[in-house]
Amino acid sequence: MNKIKTVARPQITGCGECRSVGNQSCERIQ
Amino acid sequence: MVHVFHYQDHYYIFDTGSSSLHECDEKGALLMREKLGEAVDTSCVTPEERAEYEADFAELEKQGLLFKEEVKVWPPKSNEVKALCLHICHDCNLRCRYCFADEGAYHAKREFMSLETAKKAIDFLIENSGDRKVLETDFFGGEPLMNFDVVKQTVYYAKEQAAKRGKKFLFTLTTNGLLLRDDVADFLNEEMENVVLSIDGRKEVHDAVRKTANGKGSFDLVIENLKNFVKIRGDKHYYVRGTFTSKNLDFSKDVLFLADNGFDSISMEPVVTDIPDLWITKEMIPEICAEYDRLCDAYLKREAEGKGFNFFHFNVDLDGGPCLSKRVSACGAGNEYFSVLPNGDIYPCHQFAGDKEFRMGSVFEGKLDEALRNKFKNSCLFTRKKCDGCFAKFICSGGCSANNYHFNGDIDEPYEITCRMMRKRIENGMHILAVRKAEEEKR
Repeated sequence: MNKIKTVARPQITGCGECRSVGNQSCERIQ
Repeated sequence: MVHVFHYQDHYYIFDTGSSSLHECDEKGALLMREKLGEAVDTSCVTPEERAEYEADFAELEKQGLLFKEEVKVWPPKSNEVKALCLHICHDCNLRCRYCFADEGAYHAKREFMSLETAKKAIDFLIENSGDRKVLETDFFGGEPLMNFDVVKQTVYYAKEQAAKRGKKFLFTLTTNGLLLRDDVADFLNEEMENVVLSIDGRKEVHDAVRKTANGKGSFDLVIENLKNFVKIRGDKHYYVRGTFTSKNLDFSKDVLFLADNGFDSISMEPVVTDIPDLWITKEMIPEICAEYDRLCDAYLKREAEGKGFNFFHFNVDLDGGPCLSKRVSACGAGNEYFSVLPNGDIYPCHQFAGDKEFRMGSVFEGKLDEALRNKFKNSCLFTRKKCDGCFAKFICSGGCSANNYHFNGDIDEPYEITCRMMRKRIENGMHILAVRKAEEEKR
C-alpha cells in the first residue's frame, strides 16, 4: 500500500443493551 | 457503495459496506471517482501513478475494505419496551419562539402529570420490558422542574419497583435551568444518568428567542445555574443543547462561546419550526456547511492546544459503534420507545405528542394500538428508499421519523435539508478521526 492510508477498519446483533447511532458504542463489545 | 469526499486538501474514500475510511491524495480521489463512473479529467495522473493506485485499490478490495457488499440485517421484531419519555409537565416558565412543544402546552391545555399517572407509566414500562435489565426514563416537558416533587417521587418509586424485578433504571432530565436551585441540582446530580441543559449560546442569540413569560431574555437568569450545575457534575454525563435558527447561521461562535464558558459537552441543533423568520431553508445549506467547516477547524485547533471539548455531531465511531441491527432500527420510537403525556396517553415519541392520529393508547389501558405500533416496528433503514444511495445511511439510520412525517407526511420519507446537514457533519467527523490518527502516529 503506497498511495492510500486506511484510517478506520472495523472489526453480535440486536442484544438491545445499548442506550436509546453514529456516535454510539456497543456496550457489550466494549 | 463508495463515497469520495474532501475536507480542504484532505481526500477521503469511505466504503459503506465495510464502514472503512481511507485517506488518499487528490489524484487518488480522481481515479476513484473515475472508477465509480464519473466523467473526470485524470490527465494529471501518470501511467505509473495510475498503476500504483490501481494496485492499492485491488489490495483494499481483497481485504474487504473497498466495494464490500452491504449486508442487509433486518432488526428483530421484539415487543419489549425499553424506554419512556415522561411529559412530567405540559407547562413552561419560558416562551421560546421556536418551541415545537407550543411553549410546553403541546397545543392543548397546560397540565402537570400526577404521581399516580407517573407510577402507572413506570408500571407499564416494567410490565412490558420482557427480559431487559436496563430501562430508561426521560423527564421531559415543558419544563419538568416545574413539577419537581413528582420527578423525585417517580424516581424513588421506579428504583423500588425495579429492584423487586432485578432491573435497573437510567434517568435523564431536560431543563432550561431556571429552577436549578442547589437542592434540585444535588438531586439531579445524584439520580440522573444524564442531564440535558438548554442554552443557545451567546447572550444576544439566546435572548432573541428564549424569553420569559413577560417577554424578557432569559440568559442572565439561567447562565450561573447551568455553570454551577456543571461544576458539581464532575465526570458524570451532561450536555448543553442549543438550537440555531436562520438568525444565527454563524452558530460556530455560539458553540465556542459555550466552550469558553466551561461547558465541555455541547450539542447545537438546527431548528425545526414553521416560523418563516426562523426556519432553515435549502438556500441556507451552503452557508451552514461552511459554518460546520469553521467549527471543525476551531474544534481541532482547540484539541491540539489541549482545550478540546465534545461536540455531539462530530463524534463518529467507525472502529466500534453499534451492531448492524441497531444501525438499521435507530431510535425505536413507536416500538420500544414511547412518550407518555400528563393524562397518561401514549405517543410514539415526544415529537408526535398531541397529534391525535398517533395516539397509541394509555398507561391506564395498559395496551397499545398494535396497527400503529406495527407501522413503526416495520419501518427501518431499508424501508426508507431514499437512503439506498446515501453513504451515511448506516451512521444516520434513516433520519428522524417525526421530522420525516412533519415535513414529508411519511415516516419513511427522509427530509432532505436534515440529510444534507447530517452528511456534512459526518464527513467532518471522519476528517477529525483522520487528523487524530495522524497525530497519534506522530507521537
